[in-house]
Parts: sequence; C-alpha cells; structure tokens
Amino acid sequence: MTQTTDPSPSRRALNRLFFVLAAAVVLVIFAYGWTVTDIDFTVTQQPQRQENVTNALQELLSPNVFTQDYTIQNTTTSFLVTCTDDFSAPATQPNTSAPYIAVEPACGDSSDLVTVRGYNFPPNALARINWIATDGERRIRQVVGVEADNFVTKPDGTFSVQIEVPRIRGTSGETHTIEAQGRFPNGAPHFSETTGVVMERMIETIFLALIATTISILPSAILSFLAAHNLMRSVRIPLGNLLVGFTLLPVGYFFGATLLGALGSFVLNLSSGGIAAPAAGMIVVFGAVASTSRLGSAPQIAPRTPLRSIAMTLVVSVAGVIVIAFVAGLALAIDRLGGDGIVGDITRFIGSLGEIIQLVLVPLCGIVGAVAAASIGGMLTTPLLRQISVSVSHILGAVLGVLGGAILLGMVASIGMSAAWMGLLVPAVVASLSSPLLPQLYSQFTGVGLHPTGSQRVVLTALSWIGGAIGFSATFVLMDVSRAMVEGVLPGREVIVSFAGVEVYAYVAKAMLIGAVVAGIMGGLQGTRANFGIGGVLYSITRTLLNALRSIEPLIMGLVFVIWVGIGPFAGVLALTLHSIASLGKLYSEQIETIDSGPIEALQSTGANRLQTIVYAVVPQIIPSYIAFTMYRWDINVRMSTIIGFVGGGGIGFLLQQQINLLRYRDAGVAVLAIAIVVSILDYASAAIRERYV
Amino acid sequence: MLIIQNLTKIYENGFVALKNINLEIPDGQFVSIIGLSGSGKSTLLRCINRLIDPTAGRILWNGMDITAVSDDELRQIRRRIGMIFQQFNLVKRSSVMTNVLAGRLGYLNPLYSLVNYFPKSEQDRALAALERVGIAEKAYIRASSLSGGQQQRVGIARTLMQEPEMILADEPVASLDPATSHSVMKYLQLLNKEDGLTVLCSLHFLSLARAYADRVIALKDGVLEFDGLPGEIDNDRFKQIYGEDAVEVEIS
Repeated sequence: MTQTTDPSPSRRALNRLFFVLAAAVVLVIFAYGWTVTDIDFTVTQQPQRQENVTNALQELLSPNVFTQDYTIQNTTTSFLVTCTDDFSAPATQPNTSAPYIAVEPACGDSSDLVTVRGYNFPPNALARINWIATDGERRIRQVVGVEADNFVTKPDGTFSVQIEVPRIRGTSGETHTIEAQGRFPNGAPHFSETTGVVMERMIETIFLALIATTISILPSAILSFLAAHNLMRSVRIPLGNLLVGFTLLPVGYFFGATLLGALGSFVLNLSSGGIAAPAAGMIVVFGAVASTSRLGSAPQIAPRTPLRSIAMTLVVSVAGVIVIAFVAGLALAIDRLGGDGIVGDITRFIGSLGEIIQLVLVPLCGIVGAVAAASIGGMLTTPLLRQISVSVSHILGAVLGVLGGAILLGMVASIGMSAAWMGLLVPAVVASLSSPLLPQLYSQFTGVGLHPTGSQRVVLTALSWIGGAIGFSATFVLMDVSRAMVEGVLPGREVIVSFAGVEVYAYVAKAMLIGAVVAGIMGGLQGTRANFGIGGVLYSITRTLLNALRSIEPLIMGLVFVIWVGIGPFAGVLALTLHSIASLGKLYSEQIETIDSGPIEALQSTGANRLQTIVYAVVPQIIPSYIAFTMYRWDINVRMSTIIGFVGGGGIGFLLQQQINLLRYRDAGVAVLAIAIVVSILDYASAAIRERYV
Repeated sequence: MLIIQNLTKIYENGFVALKNINLEIPDGQFVSIIGLSGSGKSTLLRCINRLIDPTAGRILWNGMDITAVSDDELRQIRRRIGMIFQQFNLVKRSSVMTNVLAGRLGYLNPLYSLVNYFPKSEQDRALAALERVGIAEKAYIRASSLSGGQQQRVGIARTLMQEPEMILADEPVASLDPATSHSVMKYLQLLNKEDGLTVLCSLHFLSLARAYADRVIALKDGVLEFDGLPGEIDNDRFKQIYGEDAVEVEIS
C-alpha cells in the first residue's frame, strides 16, 4: 500500500472539472423536473383561487364533529296599524323568566320605524322578527342594519332592533301581531350524525388493515424463508433426484386429486353431517395420528429403511388430508348452528374458513399427492442413482431431462396462454434452461476444472449469457411471441392430442417439445449425479415474484380487485393483503439474512435435520424483528386503508371521497380529523412496541 | 479410529485451505491442532463432520466413509460427533435448557420436536448434562445473560446430549480469558479421560496444547507441518510452524 499523498495538480484540475460537470448535470435535471411538474407560483396568487382555498380550508378545519339541537320559541305582541287617539299600548310583563317582547311605539303607519325589544332570550343566539297580519301570513321583517333574515341577540339575552312597518294595503285600523322567533338550545351539545358515520367507517378501516396484516403474516413468513439467500444458497440436490421428483409431480397430482380428493370430500361430508359423524371421524383422526407418531417416535439409531419412510410418507399424507377435511367439515357444521350477534359472527367466520378449505380441498389433495409422489420417488431411486455408472447416469439424465423439460414447459406454456405478454415466460424459462449449456460444453472440451481462473470465469459468464440469449430468441421466434405482444392476441387453441379428458393445445405441445430438447441436452451433459442448486433457483423465483408484486401499489391492485369482488372493504382487504405479503416477505427475508449463522452450524453439527435447524436456530433469532415489522406493516396498512376507498376498496376513504365530491368540506373535515387521530395513535403505538422488541 | 486420507479442500474462490492431509487418530486420544490463523485448522475440523464438503480425499470413521454417505447417514454420523465453537454458537434469545435440548434433536421424532415438545427423560438428561458442567441452576435463564465461560459450558452440555464418541472443538477458548480458558479445557479433558471420548481441539496457544494434549498436529498453509508429542516442539519447530518472527506466549 502506498502512502496517500496530495493529488497532483492535473489530478486536482480533473476533479474540479468533474465537480463542475456534475453540478451542471444536476442543474439540467432539476430544471427539467421543474418544467415537467408544472410548478407555477403565479397560480397560487390568483384572488379567486385564494378565496376558494381559504373557504375550503376554513371548512375542513371546522369539522362538524359536534352538533346542538334547537327548538324555536315564538313570542308575540300586538301592533295597531295607524294610531288612534284612544290607543294605549298593551302592558308588558317584565321580570319573568320566560322570554317576552315589547314594541315601541305599539301603533304606527306603514313604513314607520318601530323598535322591538326582547328579553330573556338565549344570549348570542339567532332570532328573527315576523309580521303577521290578519290574513295569518308570516312576513319576515329584516332588521334595520342587518342584511339577513336573522339577527343575533346580545350577550345578556336581550335585543333591541328596529323594523319597518310593512306596507300592506287596506290594513289601516287592524291589529297585527309581531312575532319574535328565538332559537333555544335543546339539551347539551352531542356528536353529530357525520361523526357517527365516520366512526363506523373508521372501525371498518382499522379492521380492514388488521385483517389484511394478519392474513399476510403466515404466507409472507413462509415466503421469507425461500427468499433468504443465506438459507437457500446451500440447498443443492443431485440432478437425478430432482428430475425424478419433478417428473413424478404431475402423476402425484393426478392421483392426489382423484384418490385423496375423494377421501377428503368423503370425510368433509361426514364431519359436516352431524354430531355422530364427527365423533366417528375424531376416532379415525386420533387413530391416524397415533399410528404416525408410533411410526416415528422410536429413537432412530439405525438409518431409516426406504420402506419405512415410504409408509411414513403415505400415512402422513392420508392423515393430513383426513384431518384437514375433518376440520373443514366441522367448521361447516358449526356454521349451520347460526346464532345472533357476536355468536353469529363467530359461527359465520368459522364457516367461511371451512368454505375456503372446501373450495381448495381437491387442488390441495393434488399438491399433497404430488409432494408425496416426488419424495417417495426420491427415496426409491436415491440408492439406485448413486450406484449407476457414469455413462448410464448421463443417458438417464438425458431421458429424465426430456421428461422434466416437457413437463416444466408444459406448465409454463399453460400459464403463458393466459395473456399476450405472459407468453414471454416461455422464452424466459427456456433461456434459463439453456444458459448453462455453452459453459458446460466449454468446460468439458477445454478441461476447466471446478475452480476456474479469473479469465476463464469471464468466458464462462459470457457463454452463459450467449446461451441464454440464443435460447430466448429462438423460442421467441418459434413460439411467435412477437405477434401476440404486438397485436395483443392470445395463442390459438387448436387441440392436437386429447386423452383421458386432457386436451393438449398445439401451442403447449410446441413449448413442451422445445423444453424436452433443451432440458434433454442439459440433463445428458450434466448427468444425474451433478449437484443442482435448487435453493438458488427457488430463491430467485421468490425474490422476483416478491419484487414484482411490491412494485404494484395497493391502490392499483384495489382497482383490479374491485372489478373482481365489487366495491367494498373485501376488495380493499385483498389488495392490502397481497401487497403486504410481498412487502413483509421481503422485510422478513432480509431479517433472516442478517441472523447469526453460528447456531445454524451448531445445530447442523448435532445431526438435526433442516426443519429442526430452522425451528431451533433461525426462528428464535427472527421473532422480535418479525413482530416489529408486522406492527410497522399494520401501521402502513391503516394509512393505506384510509385511501384505498378512493378506488372503491371500502373504509373511510370511500366516505371521504363522497364528501369531497359533494363539496361538504365540514363533513370531510371530520373524516380527515379521524384519520389523523387514528394514524398518529397507531404510529405512536407501533413505535413503542417496536422499541420494546428491537 | 479416525482415518483421514489425502484430504484436500479448495474453496470456490480458488483458495486452497487443505493440501493432501493424511492422519490417523486412534479412539480416546486428545489431539490438539495448532497453527496460524488461516492455516486450515477450522476447515480440517469442519471437513470431519462435513459442515464443509471436502474437494478430494476420504475420511473414514469407524469404518464408514464420511465423505461418501447419504444425507440421512450423515445425520446419523453427526449425532455421534459433538462440536464446540469459538463463538459458542448458542441461540442467545433461547433459554439455556432449550439450547442444551437442541443437541438431542438428531435423536428425536421431528414431528414432536418441531412443536417444542421434549419427553421428560430428555429434560432430565439435559439437566444432568448441565449438572456435569456445573451450571444446572442457570437452566431456565436466557443464554445471552451468561458469561462467556458459562456459555461455552452450555455448548459442552449441548454436545453431551449427543452422547458423542468424538468431540471437535474449534478454538474453544479463543474468546475467553486465561482463567476461564483453563476451566473449559479441564471439562474437555474430563470428557476425554472419564468418558474416553476422542477430542480434536484447535488451539492458538501452544502452552494450552502442551498442558492438555496427548498429541499435537500443526498445520501451516493447509499442509501438515508437524505431528507428534507436545514435548517435541522446541524453539526451532515453533519458528517453523509460526514463522521466524513469532515469540511464544505463555497462558497461565
């Protein structure tokens, strides 16, 4: 390492030049941004706009949280139109607690100004004077000096106002009535109707956020493990085992969906049928659980035999399906009990959980079957795969690669058919399959070992990019993705093969053929013994998915869900849940990546399996930050749910938008105030809880 | 009997950590592995229980080739090989008891252990293990509130739960003060003498190796530099292992 010295003059000049250039670039960027964002301060100075904003703000800042009921009390006195000599003013009754008025003079001609005095009215209250002629019609007399029908009483509850005697033809000599209407408060001030509605919506909002957050915890916790680099990087399995398992997935899915699905539906119907059936089901379940625990509880000194492991897998899958179906059926039975009030809420809630399981039971059974088939296949073939010779392993790799590639691309192409741009998935997957092809060939023919030098590494990286690019563009052309992308049309649905009710479209078949060729070559080159970094693949897929989901704002998701499930809080819950899963998944997984790896190493060294290692070495380390991040997310979700209503997602935002559209800013002010209060309370609460745990 | 044949480890970045190591370690021996930082001590220990997969060579233990077994068989083997770490590697937020019980996971039904259920017999075994290292009274407090020496004793108790036949200790006292170091080394010696466990222990201080080991192995840049009795290491040998500028420091 050389001593740091002062830079040479030329170096300093260069630095200065660089600084000036950077400043110029910043200036250009900022100036452009200024123009693009339409910043114009003259608008803010226009009188009309200033008045509008002042009024709107005034009303927003005068929320009608409280209201006061009033009763109108009428007090009268008489008036003689056109004075007579013998007229004497009617006596007034002073010193009473009831309001009364007096007029002076008590007689007069049209257009005369007379003074009306009132006593015992509420202070600073609204009042008005009516003139009632013999026809009984009320004529509002505006008070002299006030440009409105109403005037305000004095702080001592009196008033003294001048009014003009109205000009009514042919009334001379008649006695008219002067009426003072006073607005008297009725009872204490109380919360307004708007406040009630706002509170109702606010509760909906808080629960919208709560439900979305709680539902997202479990999926994002599971995803976070898949998206944690430090856990997944080391997960590698022999390519042969992977391919065998992968090839067995559709077979297992088929049998799982049909056989286990039938069993599950049967159990579900049984347990939802009545009380006797659940009891019988319970015995079956306990029997199943007991038999699984007996199979597994013996201390395993000797390695497990494959037969025992297979039996174990089968029993666990069957028992698992029975338990799930049983619980779902029980939930449906509880739903039928019904009930009122909170009990009804609970039974409905349990019932809808049961319905969810009922809806997904058959696919779930299929997945259970697929996983079981893949693991049983792995157990049966692992010893075989380890014994076969090198050449056989390459041939087998090619065969399994063909099968696996066809299945993979078949699944991808089925997804790719759903939308024009989803068609890009097919070339993308082929690209990732074909990218290791050229590096593999290069290392085999040039003899690059496991540990390439720097320049060799550059060549290998370049080759993998080239291979990927070739795979991508070839598939892009073959599958005619460009036409779909430009014209927005979906691939045709010509059926070329049809067996057992499964129809294979030409598009899917073409993709399967490409997949079979590429994966077959890859499998043949690698052989079944090559270690495949399945963990890295799962990590990349999960991370990509989470990042893509996270980049879509909940408001946009809300728009789509409103189309799906209609306007209301349910759409908001779905949108916030989906976004929360992506965000929490990312935040959680970053927490996993920062944990101390020592305990993991320690537990691995004791012979604990992968799941045990995670439960005992990883979970205790991440729980505090999981709690903290969940609170933080709830906080964010409450903020989001206050505006998710703007796109129809329910909650207080829906109300706020209506009030703003109707220009009822005082009502909108109540909603804004409620949001401010709830958000700041939650902000404080979540910060306090996070501080305790971090 | 542990037999290491032509063991080589090259990391993915091309660093050669071990070069063609050949060793035979009979049961019940206390072997100390010395050498500078980066000489391959940790890699050698971790290759034995395959926390690190060796690049080439074989490791035979009780007739089984550890480098060629399946994942299931590897877990069976790992259960019988305890490991002690420089940083103790306890889960600091969990209780001492849970940390010790975790050493038994390889023997337990995964379904039960996943929901944190341990039979009474295992809990008694854990208490007995803690008793043996003298910290039974700390069983139900958090591991983070223990001192370094106590944490390392919890590490030893966790290893005892495995009912091991061999213990790999990776710099077990490098994070401890001299007095505590001796206490921890004495527990290792106890396991070696009373239970007849084979102990492979990497150490920084030659004085500790002299005090406790039956046999000293020295590594230098991944190569076996010395293999013999502790008493055979004189000043020349010392300079050969640690370099010309090194001066031996006593740990009292």
